[in-house]
Amino acid sequence: MEPQTLFGIAVGTIFITNFVLFRFLGLCPYIGVSKQLDSALGMGMAVIFVMSLASAATWIIYHYFLVPESSNLFFQIFMKSRGNPPDLTYLRTITFILVIATLVQFVEMVIQKMSPELYQSLGIYLPLITTNCAVLGVSILNINAGYSFIQSLVNGFFSGIGFTLALVLMAGLREKLEMADLPGAMKGAPIAFIMAGCMSLAFLGFSGLKIG
Amino acid sequence: MRILKELIKGIYRENPVFRLMLGLCPVLAVSSAVSNAIGMGVSVIFVLLCSNLLVSLVRPLVPDKIRIPVFIMIIATFVTIVDLVMHGFFPALHKSLGLFIPLIVVNCIILGRAEAFASRQPMVSSLADGLGMGIGFTMALMIIATFREILGNGTWLGLPVAGPGFEPVLLMILSPGAFLIIGFLMAFLNWLDNRMACERTANK
Amino acid sequence: MKDIPQFAAILCLVALIAAASLSWINEITEPKIASQEMKALNEGLQAVLPGASKGSIVPVKKAGNISYYIGYHDPEQRKRIGYAFEASGDGYSSTIRTLVGVDTTGTILAIHVLSQQETPGLGTRCQEIRPGESHPWWQAQFKGLNASDVRVDKDGGIIESITGATITSRAITNAIAEKATAVMQELPSGKQTE
Repeated sequence: MEPQTLFGIAVGTIFITNFVLFRFLGLCPYIGVSKQLDSALGMGMAVIFVMSLASAATWIIYHYFLVPESSNLFFQIFMKSRGNPPDLTYLRTITFILVIATLVQFVEMVIQKMSPELYQSLGIYLPLITTNCAVLGVSILNINAGYSFIQSLVNGFFSGIGFTLALVLMAGLREKLEMADLPGAMKGAPIAFIMAGCMSLAFLGFSGLKIG
Repeated sequence: MRILKELIKGIYRENPVFRLMLGLCPVLAVSSAVSNAIGMGVSVIFVLLCSNLLVSLVRPLVPDKIRIPVFIMIIATFVTIVDLVMHGFFPALHKSLGLFIPLIVVNCIILGRAEAFASRQPMVSSLADGLGMGIGFTMALMIIATFREILGNGTWLGLPVAGPGFEPVLLMILSPGAFLIIGFLMAFLNWLDNRMACERTANK
Repeated sequence: MKDIPQFAAILCLVALIAAASLSWINEITEPKIASQEMKALNEGLQAVLPGASKGSIVPVKKAGNISYYIGYHDPEQRKRIGYAFEASGDGYSSTIRTLVGVDTTGTILAIHVLSQQETPGLGTRCQEIRPGESHPWWQAQFKGLNASDVRVDKDGGIIESITGATITSRAITNAIAEKATAVMQELPSGKQTE
């Protein structure tokens, strides 16, 4: 099911297995930040950046520190002469999330320096990228699919683009929706979810497509 | 009595899914079958209880600036425990829940409650809060899963409940169904709230 | 700024405690996990090689990996029932692993889908068991067919695809045909040993 060519990975993760509309990853910011187009776009950019870096960093950590293979650096430094490389894959979750938390901290500092307006408008949602399921999700998905370093990086980057696409589409719709006359109970989150459902339905049309 | 209040609030008034809108990713992904919903709910309750307990105990010893990484490590440890134990003892459930088991660590509910509540409250209140939120989360999951499984598959917990002539609405089990059901349920709860508020003012 | 060594020390301590507890839990659960996988595989092998006595299903390795299994009628391994192998193919939303049991001429005895994460209600019907029956109806159609030639109806064969799950049906069928062809070629030519 996982496409192997870089083109296949890229297009696949934007349309066929879109992170938000198909895999249900990255929903909290999706509902929270999608009220305005600019903040949605800014959030999307930050997430693309974090997802790409996270894919790269977690891949390296997994393949050089956790897997029970001879490439394992712990094995090379400490145990070369005796025994088998240790299988530390069960530490995957905890190391990945720590790497991601660190990355987000770093990105926060960079954005604060480079663009204080963006920093202000993103507000609380910037540190919340740490708990964005999409970031941890793509790291684990890369491992499960057995991707190489480049494939993981591409998957991370384009998954972020897929997330941003869904986010921006939703923000555009919600801006228009502000003017609409809705029944009271529907206002806010309920109609956002129903619209997400319609978008998901539309994207379902892509499913089953095989491209590489 | 206050303990009981902490417990109950997580179920309706501050339901993490429908009110606080936390922890949405697993809710939509895992609610395609009631058995998955229960499995995920129980896991989240376990992690919530353990992490709230440990966070409220450990908080006085941890400097403020590094509290978030410490909380994350605590939560990640319990999530990994759940992952390994489920893999060994409930392999079918482990396979169904898949990616979303390690994703419990980024479930906003857990870090959110650790930060907002457990880090400031004594142990017993924290436990009650964790239990209440966990139960609220599980109930929300089960309600959504009930709709999706019955409408989309004609079964509940794998047992057929619809008559033989029933044509399942496949949409309900796929992604759009999840969004639509939760949207309508939230709208219903809003409507319910408005009605209760109107009645309260009418009765005055 | 001078707090940094203190912060680092606390973080390292927490990390060490976390890693130690996880390593302990891992020690406990690892054997259970491995035995679960073995159990599922053995049950599957028994299902696709009916008549093979327990313990008489022998793996044949090639380059360190198990290529296929030989099923014997008896524990002394004198009469072969046939062979079993695992066919793996990408379905709609997951990789589907199927165990296939064939007799010595390559005719399918039974198949057993080991694992799949296809669409519930559609692709998952490949493992569906009708009330009153004991085996998945979709898998039963493979019995008696030549393993290397199976094709779904949409590709000119006789395997009936699951309605609305053509991709799943095709994936399983093609994986079986492909793997069967490869395995039959690998078998030592000649008659079964008596």
